[in-house]
Amino acid sequence: MSAASGREPRPPQTRRLRRLAQRLLLRAGGGGLVLLASATVTFFALHLTPGDPVRALLGGPTSNPTPETIAAAVKEFGLDQPLLTQYAIYIGRLLRGDFGVSFSQHLPVADVIAEQVWPTLQLTAASLLVAWVLALVSVLGTTRRGRWVSGLGSAIETVSASLPQFWLGIVLLAVFSFGLRLFPPEGNGGLVSLVLPTLALAVPLAGFLAQVMRESLELALDQPFILSARMRGLGDWPVRWRHALRHAVLPGVSLSAWAVGSLIGNSVLVELIFSRQGLGRQLYQAVSLQDMPLTIGITLFVTLVYIVTSILVDALYVVVDPRIEAGRT
Amino acid sequence: MVAALSSAGLDADSVRAGGAPVAGGTLTYATDREPTCLDPHVDGDMPQVFVAQQFLDSLVSMDQDGHIGPWLARSWTVSPDGKTYTFKLRDDVTFSNGEKFTSAAVKANLDHMVDPATQSSTAGGYVRQYVGTDTPDDLTAVVHLSKPYAAFLEVLAQGFLGIEAPSALKRSRDENCQSPVGSGPFKVTRWDHQSQVVLERNPDYRWAPLTARHQGPAYLDKIVWKFIPEPSVRFAALQNGSVDVIEAVPPESEAAAEKNPDLTLIVKDRPGNPTNGELNTRRAPFDDIRVREAFVRSADIDGALASVYFGRYHHATGPLSAVTPFYSGDFQHADDYDPDRANKLLDEAGWTERDSSGLRSRNGQPLAVHIPIGASIGPAERSLWEQVQATAGQVGFDVRLEPVGDTESSERQGKWDYDVTLDYWNTNTADVLRIVFGSEFLGAAGSGGYHQNGSGLQNAAFDDTVEKALETQDEATRRGLYRQAQELISGQYLQLRTYPQSTRLGVYKTAHDVRLEPSLTVTTLYDAWVSK
Repeated sequence: MSAASGREPRPPQTRRLRRLAQRLLLRAGGGGLVLLASATVTFFALHLTPGDPVRALLGGPTSNPTPETIAAAVKEFGLDQPLLTQYAIYIGRLLRGDFGVSFSQHLPVADVIAEQVWPTLQLTAASLLVAWVLALVSVLGTTRRGRWVSGLGSAIETVSASLPQFWLGIVLLAVFSFGLRLFPPEGNGGLVSLVLPTLALAVPLAGFLAQVMRESLELALDQPFILSARMRGLGDWPVRWRHALRHAVLPGVSLSAWAVGSLIGNSVLVELIFSRQGLGRQLYQAVSLQDMPLTIGITLFVTLVYIVTSILVDALYVVVDPRIEAGRT
Repeated sequence: MVAALSSAGLDADSVRAGGAPVAGGTLTYATDREPTCLDPHVDGDMPQVFVAQQFLDSLVSMDQDGHIGPWLARSWTVSPDGKTYTFKLRDDVTFSNGEKFTSAAVKANLDHMVDPATQSSTAGGYVRQYVGTDTPDDLTAVVHLSKPYAAFLEVLAQGFLGIEAPSALKRSRDENCQSPVGSGPFKVTRWDHQSQVVLERNPDYRWAPLTARHQGPAYLDKIVWKFIPEPSVRFAALQNGSVDVIEAVPPESEAAAEKNPDLTLIVKDRPGNPTNGELNTRRAPFDDIRVREAFVRSADIDGALASVYFGRYHHATGPLSAVTPFYSGDFQHADDYDPDRANKLLDEAGWTERDSSGLRSRNGQPLAVHIPIGASIGPAERSLWEQVQATAGQVGFDVRLEPVGDTESSERQGKWDYDVTLDYWNTNTADVLRIVFGSEFLGAAGSGGYHQNGSGLQNAAFDDTVEKALETQDEATRRGLYRQAQELISGQYLQLRTYPQSTRLGVYKTAHDVRLEPSLTVTTLYDAWVSK
């Protein structure tokens, strides 16, 4: 039992569970609303984009469609209906779990997502993990280690946090793939091909996480309980690991839900640069072709991942710091 | 010395072959764009025909000189009125699903292309004259057209009009998009979207066209057709041999490829209307032929191509690319760079007022040229037009490059809301002139009123000429008429032609006998083999 949480009285187990269930329900309801809002915004945003999607879905600028062909496409995708009718039909379908058929892929949206989701989740999960490891190494290794080490660590974190993912991706490609030929430049060929894209996403995120954690760690290391632990004769590493770390990771944990969302967003560029299969690259194509069903489908899916992650992070937060639970009652 | 001379006469892949073709193995091919549907009848964009060429056969073939030869059809006759084509078919062809190829397949395919539900924008557009097919027996297909169409055989030779198995076509369009079935040397066995298409050898293949280098099944066991959109990554994958062939070699890498002993470049222009900016004649300032000529002559395309494409792309030499049947080289200097003449023409046309930066105006109206640049136009192409902007600016044109989304760009095209629209048209027939400049393509052919005739030319003499060229199969007559059509167009200054579309392959030392077929300059891997 750590010094920090030991002081708080625990609520009875049943009350605790009930409260947790209530909160989860509330979060789920809120999540549903967010999904609906996300679908609505995407739908109207795509419709406000100038131009007619029919042309794009009939083969681009070098095609030669007959008027009958165009009429058939317009009818098939319901593009001849008034906008609000299209919206109502679309939301009705979504509520029934029907995501429609992609204009550009000639496949059900659910199938397209199912085919592309695994490589993106792999990339996102790997990046989040690597970002955490890098951030912890930097923070625990350099915080309060004398002015020079500490300053250097902090500077590296600041620089990493500001690196654009696509630029980093190109540099990694140039050095490790084109130059040293250590990693394949493209594709989804297992763990080796995951390394460079993961680093491109993880390094800037690690810098950001570390900046936030460093501040908390510094605060924690100034707390009296750290001093008392040191006075009990604990070494520097045990103090950091067993006492200060818990405080330092809290802001990192709460940032992780946001991080997952941003990782999926940034995967658009990284997947393009590394020619990786994935949702990001698919979303890019769907938007540029005004492929309404697919764009909304992927947006909804990413939103869902974000909602689920923030619920998980919420739960994890309570595990890391039970005071939160007590404090909210 | 003698040996060096004689080998220089052969083409590069034959030199490197160093022996007889070896059967077996996998060739990895990487290209920039992924098709949205593998059935080339649906939509009809270039990436589709590149894959289709590996698994579909055509009714007829086209050779390097543009001559039409047999393929799935052994022979054919054309009725005197030019409206009925009778094809005699091979009797030994089966599709890769075991189905026999008969006249019913010819009918099913043509019917499929013109069916609006197929949403065919290329193949369907090429056979608008199609009325129906009679099948008096299994080996005879009698195709009826509504009017004479001498380019019919030419378009039939294109992979876009490849012949698919009728039972496969009976499935839903979207299902057929995922797994089309042909009678070609390879068959589609898998499509991992955003990643690759896998094709495997058709072991029963015995009906290659005479344009091929061998007969019988293909040498390769398997083709992995990958999609690597990023050009530098694609080229790096070729350099380290992780792919055997890449398409769309980036121009900035071509010099490196030539220096690398492991690599060979195969570069060839595509037939059709070269890449160009079409000048909208339906509004000022380009409703005045003097202003059109001034614009065309004010743009230093040679200089722009040299700087943007590292001298790798050459200036197109007319409204047809030089590899198009019935191309005439007589008009290649009709619109050469000549800023003095451009200035003189603009003065004559009354655009004489100049502002402090030298841009012209007339009665207070600036000499503005609006050019929508769609999102899918690549950065090099944009730079090219920035160069046009700079050189045309020197004679007083206020060229405004306007970045827009692709759908907006096609909508503006449909509304004639542009002064220049960027375009090209790949097809293996001089009949492309009719599509790009003919009055019948002015109308609302496409969505939002999109029209193929982007310059808005309406010229009865021209229409008459290209129409007449479709009424006869006589080669000399057609050549004369198409020469006349090219002359008419050249004098009108309707397009600022830049460079011909081209296919640019990079080949690693492990791949041999990779060829470009002549109908659309599309890769064919039927004769290819690998040593590794």
